[in-house]
Amino acid sequence: MQTLLNFFIKHNHWFLFMLLEGIGIMLIVQFNNYQNAKMFTSANSVAGNIYAAITDVSSYFGLKSENDALLQYNKELNQRIALLQAELMQHKDSAMVAALPGKAKGFFYNCATVVNNSINAVDNYITIDKGTADGVDAEMGVFCNEGIVGIIYTASEHYSVVIPLLNSKSSISCRVKGSDNFCTLQWNGSDTRYSFLVDLPRYTQFEKGDTVVTSGFSSIFPGDIPVGTIEKTEESADGMFAQAQVRLFTNFATLKKVYIVGNEGRKEQQELERSIIKK
Amino acid sequence: MTSNTLIRIRNFVILAFIQVLIFSQVHLFGYATAHIYLIFLLKLPRFTSRNEQLIWAFLFGLVVDIFCNTPGINACAATAMSFARNYILESFTQKGVADDFIPGIHTINLGGYAMYATLCLLLFYSVLFILELFTIRYPLTLLASIVASTLLTLLFTLVIECFTRKR
Repeated sequence: MQTLLNFFIKHNHWFLFMLLEGIGIMLIVQFNNYQNAKMFTSANSVAGNIYAAITDVSSYFGLKSENDALLQYNKELNQRIALLQAELMQHKDSAMVAALPGKAKGFFYNCATVVNNSINAVDNYITIDKGTADGVDAEMGVFCNEGIVGIIYTASEHYSVVIPLLNSKSSISCRVKGSDNFCTLQWNGSDTRYSFLVDLPRYTQFEKGDTVVTSGFSSIFPGDIPVGTIEKTEESADGMFAQAQVRLFTNFATLKKVYIVGNEGRKEQQELERSIIKK
Repeated sequence: MTSNTLIRIRNFVILAFIQVLIFSQVHLFGYATAHIYLIFLLKLPRFTSRNEQLIWAFLFGLVVDIFCNTPGINACAATAMSFARNYILESFTQKGVADDFIPGIHTINLGGYAMYATLCLLLFYSVLFILELFTIRYPLTLLASIVASTLLTLLFTLVIECFTRKR
């Protein structure tokens, strides 16, 4: 008995080792399953503030190209407004226009700056400088001038962590412009310029160069936000579905400013959908 | 003892900053990332208490994890490395030497130090990448990442070692 006790005392670092490894594995598992583990992510205020301070300095580089891109985007938005207004004027007297609700479907927008970004891991994350204090919360959509970026994973008071398209956990409901079939966009962990549309029905036929946009079926993104263009199509490994390689519009390596989109009706839609599953 | 601890805390903060803000942002060829904070763990004196070593390793890993959004992965890998370190170090120590020394070129010469660092780093990166790629198994990518990262970190370890020698 004494020898056994001595053995344990002599090797007490083994127990500490196992304890620490246990904590580590718990953190890994927890982060994958539990969205509120924000203390151990870069959404926590210390990490967020340090990254924000560094970004404050580095954001001065490339201001000119940033400005040009914003001007271009503004121009396109103005053109769309003009077009829609002209359309509206044509139907000025019809009853349809009068019946239009004052506010569109309930999406609201916010903008944010990227303070930390990675593109080389299998599970990449982006940290942005808006949090719950700015009305930003988990499961809101994030996009930029060029196209879609990802979905917010967790938010602290002033910072949020985004799961971008370049993350094996990311899965976004999309459709190909000009077709009503919706499908899922997933990343395979290798090339940061491409993602894949999986589970396409085999009878659908897409051409190289077709544009992929968000479907609008999920409660996170409104429809028709650009995603990318189809590069090539092939059969899936089991031959049951087709899949397509998509060249993404968003350049994740140079991402600086992003927009956040929230949906006022999201909770209601989700509760409704959940209530069906329960029955 | 206390001044020793203070110096270690200072080194900890400096190395953590350099690691998180510079080295963790650079990925050579998409495979190799240098984790220079491991130098701190490699250079702990031979007879530092095992428990203390483990706790340093875990804390260091955790800090890097928090900044890189990989909770637990670095912590697990660094703890494992630090646990195995003493056994590896003993095999590179000459028989009969009972001194408490800091592993380095002077104490176990260049070849010994390089082998010691290589073995420790190989272990660290094996654990790290296996945990990171748990769901997606590409054996070749995994192997390439482990080897490339080990070599890169080893290079930095030896370069830094040579520079500190001059002083």
